[in-house]
Amino acid sequence: MGVGADMRFVDYQNSEYIIAWGRNIFESFAGQWEPKGVLEALDNGATLVVIDPRHTPTAQKADHWLPIEPRTDGALALAMAHVIIEEGLHDESFIEEWTHGFEAYEEAVADKTPEWAAEITGIDAELIREIAIGFAEAAPAAGIALWTGVGQYAESQKASQNVFALNGLVGNIDRPGGLRLWQGPPFSDPFEVRDIDLPNNAADETPALRKYDEYADQPYRHTTGIGHNIVPEMVENGHIRGIYTHYDNPINDGNSEAWMNALDEMDLVITVDAYWSELTRRADVVFPEAIQLEKDTLIDYAPAWSAYHDRRWMTASEAAVEPLGDSKPGFQILRGIAEEMGWGEYIPWESEAEYNEDMLANVEYSFEEIAEQNYVILEEFGYEAWRENGFNTPTNAFQFDLDEMDAYVRSIEEVEEMEGVDLETGPQWLPPGTLGEMPDEEYPLHFYDTRSVFFAFGADQPLSQQRSQYAARHGLKSADYEGNYLTINPTDADPRGIETGDMVTVESADGAGELMAYVSERTPPGFLTAEFGFGEGVPHEEGFNTMMLHTEGVDPLSSQPDRHIPIEVHANGGDGA
Amino acid sequence: MFYFDPNRCIGCHACSISCKQRHDRDADADDWRTVTHLERGEYPDFQELPVSMSCMHCHDAPCEQVCPPDAIVKREEDGIVTVNRDRCIGCHYCAWACPYGAPTYGDDGLMSKCNMCLGEGPGSGHGKPPKQKAEDGGLKLSCVDNCVGEAIKAGPVSEVMEEASEAAARRFENGAYNSRVIVEPMDEDSAAGMDDVADASINADDEGAAAIPAGGSDADGGASDWLNG
Repeated sequence: MGVGADMRFVDYQNSEYIIAWGRNIFESFAGQWEPKGVLEALDNGATLVVIDPRHTPTAQKADHWLPIEPRTDGALALAMAHVIIEEGLHDESFIEEWTHGFEAYEEAVADKTPEWAAEITGIDAELIREIAIGFAEAAPAAGIALWTGVGQYAESQKASQNVFALNGLVGNIDRPGGLRLWQGPPFSDPFEVRDIDLPNNAADETPALRKYDEYADQPYRHTTGIGHNIVPEMVENGHIRGIYTHYDNPINDGNSEAWMNALDEMDLVITVDAYWSELTRRADVVFPEAIQLEKDTLIDYAPAWSAYHDRRWMTASEAAVEPLGDSKPGFQILRGIAEEMGWGEYIPWESEAEYNEDMLANVEYSFEEIAEQNYVILEEFGYEAWRENGFNTPTNAFQFDLDEMDAYVRSIEEVEEMEGVDLETGPQWLPPGTLGEMPDEEYPLHFYDTRSVFFAFGADQPLSQQRSQYAARHGLKSADYEGNYLTINPTDADPRGIETGDMVTVESADGAGELMAYVSERTPPGFLTAEFGFGEGVPHEEGFNTMMLHTEGVDPLSSQPDRHIPIEVHANGGDGA
Repeated sequence: MFYFDPNRCIGCHACSISCKQRHDRDADADDWRTVTHLERGEYPDFQELPVSMSCMHCHDAPCEQVCPPDAIVKREEDGIVTVNRDRCIGCHYCAWACPYGAPTYGDDGLMSKCNMCLGEGPGSGHGKPPKQKAEDGGLKLSCVDNCVGEAIKAGPVSEVMEEASEAAARRFENGAYNSRVIVEPMDEDSAAGMDDVADASINADDEGAAAIPAGGSDADGGASDWLNG
């Protein structure tokens, strides 16, 4: 929200100070370029700070690991800003020329001392001071890597805003070593190239989420057209009657049980996928898609951030073998659907390769040439891209305060009314539990899902080599089980009679399930985790779909599912109990 | 000679998986290259260190010395330790002798292990011509090639020593790890105090090896010696 762009990666190679905030870059990365970039920075003498309740391989390699209390990131960020402003280490000219709402920010952090934050976060005040000063002094060659760790709990929009504001404060945006504004390949829109006026049948429609009163209690509807967790209710109300998914499985993204029922209720479910799962089994039509080796592919779905921090690049490959069975390249599936629906005239390309050629209209390489070389590296792109057109925000500036974003302001007002809390449009500390659930007597433990290096989200779990190494990594390769593990500290495991290798039941107010326990000191007492992307609903059904613990909990400002869930756990009996 | 830098190992097991794929081995088979995660301490004073290991192709190859049918050969020409599976009788003596747990045994009971990608698949290294460097057409080691952090290196001693830090080279020359592998010392700030844990792991249980009469260093010969040159 701050820069109006979906950018969250540091210009690692040039950085002198990297903060991995709720991120485990060495185990869960957007591409190998991330850990490689961080290792290069470390070689060059950069400082690495990791902020994470869990000990991770990234924490192991860090100069400072801050084992923060869960969901208190926002307090730490405000205290860092307090120190930076107090020490006069902020970038005055950047703030003056390129930002909006600094007064609100200044005011918000005025009383947020490190001592105040130490009480909340469990991080020593002197260490907070040291990190804040180190970060600001290294700036602009200092950056914060931020992703779902501070993005998927009920108060996370405010927490992320507080953390993100630090970038503007020290003026590191798109400067060497700071927060990089990546630039993707200069692809053309093939429809424009062919002068095809693609009709938008939804152009004059109001999204159902905003159209009907039933969703008046979903404040995020002003900033987004759809909310994952509310879809089952919309199906029940007859406002959504069908879905088309393409290598996307909504069942493990939250509210899993209700989503499975909703898929049953829908009039039409079309899915393009390669695996059988609770999604594809429920679909009315399943199109098996060819894998990359079976089709001509120009990687156009890769986001701008990838591989090279200073150069645009492209990669392509030609089909090596014919598609197996009835599977077809995704392009052919989409083209066939368009033709059947009477829209064939809009898709004149015979093949994906032909379509790709039009994407490359402004590039000096043909699809074949790129595929031949596998990848081509294009021109370098410079820094400070914002100097040309400013930031893509309503104020054209980096926004500390989101008061000029009307939709956001409306969401804020509604949350205030619903939850009875005072909210600011600028940075603000929201204690955990303000908008989401906290552990209580019945469910006394924090649960949060994690990613491991072996699996890309929910996608690679069907691969046996990966599963085998995942088991080996936990010393459980000999166990007759290849699902995910519940990582639990001995302090919590011992009184419950739980040992590594035991099957246990996890229970939240909304759901329950079984998986294998892994007792370890890497996770703090009271904080349990499990790897995302296993169990019911996903292609590898062994293990536990952790989103079965979840129903409708969201961050009401961002619509992101609240993945911090209070739980209880007990041993299943048998040998280990 | 293998080289390992625990400071650059991110513990991702890409070495183990790429090894399995290069040599067409099933997921449930034992790994030729393993990654062990050594842990110590209580939260938050917790440390975890990944250590990637395989057959070290030891200059004194304890496995070769105990192999009853002489199926295991420490090759003069490139120093790689290979196994002739036509001769292997599956007695597991090599497993007892190896300080690193490198030999693995399949359903056929026969031993297989890392052959430094001299060939592809169990037993494929046996009888192969001397290992060529990658630039001369030799197969690049899959673990080295796929290591995200460039933590694993391999080659003749002289070449690997050039890549090593002064501290690692000095330790090697002083006989650390019985001069079987070059290992970087741990960075002070991020993994202080883990050296001894790593040492214990990489020295493994060296009793098997120690029980073997110290054999002659049979492969510290000429410049063509791929491993020990």
